Amino acid sequence: MREAIAAPRAGLDLRQHYGHHQSPAIRAGGLIFCSGMLPIDPETGERRHGTLTSEAHVIFGNLKLLLEQAGSSLERLVQVHALIYDSIEYDVLNRVYRQYVANGPPARTVWTAQIEAGFKIELDVIAAA
Amino acid sequence: MSLKREVMSPPVRALDVAGSLGQPASTVVRGGDFLFVSGLVAVDPQSGERVRGTTVSESRQILTNLRQLLEAAGSSLDKVVKVNVLLHSMLEAPNMNEVYARFFPDPPPARTVCGARLPDGVKVIIECTALA
Repeated sequence: MREAIAAPRAGLDLRQHYGHHQSPAIRAGGLIFCSGMLPIDPETGERRHGTLTSEAHVIFGNLKLLLEQAGSSLERLVQVHALIYDSIEYDVLNRVYRQYVANGPPARTVWTAQIEAGFKIELDVIAAA
Repeated sequence: MSLKREVMSPPVRALDVAGSLGQPASTVVRGGDFLFVSGLVAVDPQSGERVRGTTVSESRQILTNLRQLLEAAGSSLDKVVKVNVLLHSMLEAPNMNEVYARFFPDPPPARTVCGARLPDGVKVIIECTALA
């Protein structure tokens, strides 16, 4: 059984704002698979470019909204793929990341990739339902 | 009781993308309620040969082949829960999105798209997880 999770705020409906053919998240098999989360203003849908740190704060805020909408939470993350624009910011990533993950944090893989719209970071996560 | 873990055989050898590439990988594996599909490159479904094209034509071929792979495993495109798309350039994201939209009915799977250094002139790789 597969259920699409609606965007928790209008700004996070990327299909509407940007034409991305995706659901914000899908719940299936006891897990919540989230689309890659970007630093988008949750109310307006505008891009919030900044430093890696400021972008990460927006992303985690958005993930909190999305996961809570789905009946889950940041504490229930099981896997994170952290895409960063340059590995030179790895320590910066960790410093902001630690503020949001539980004791007993999720599994994580970090790699460097070209991210949409020139953002510095994107988080691709799975949580327990 | 442990969950079912089973390698799913592609319907034809040509669609055993991971095998044809000589990778120590299965193209589709079942784990519990899920099917995990290896990152697919565009291959001809008759010959299994890599097809080189545009990002759009390669995406179209990959998703056509994915449909066959999932259906052979008892699943379908509408049971896909998450897709990861790797593009040789993010400039191609809107083009890919347009052809991609024709394959996934509403509500579409969750998705992450990024640009990456892909091997051997490959323009796009698509992997996914689906409900079995």
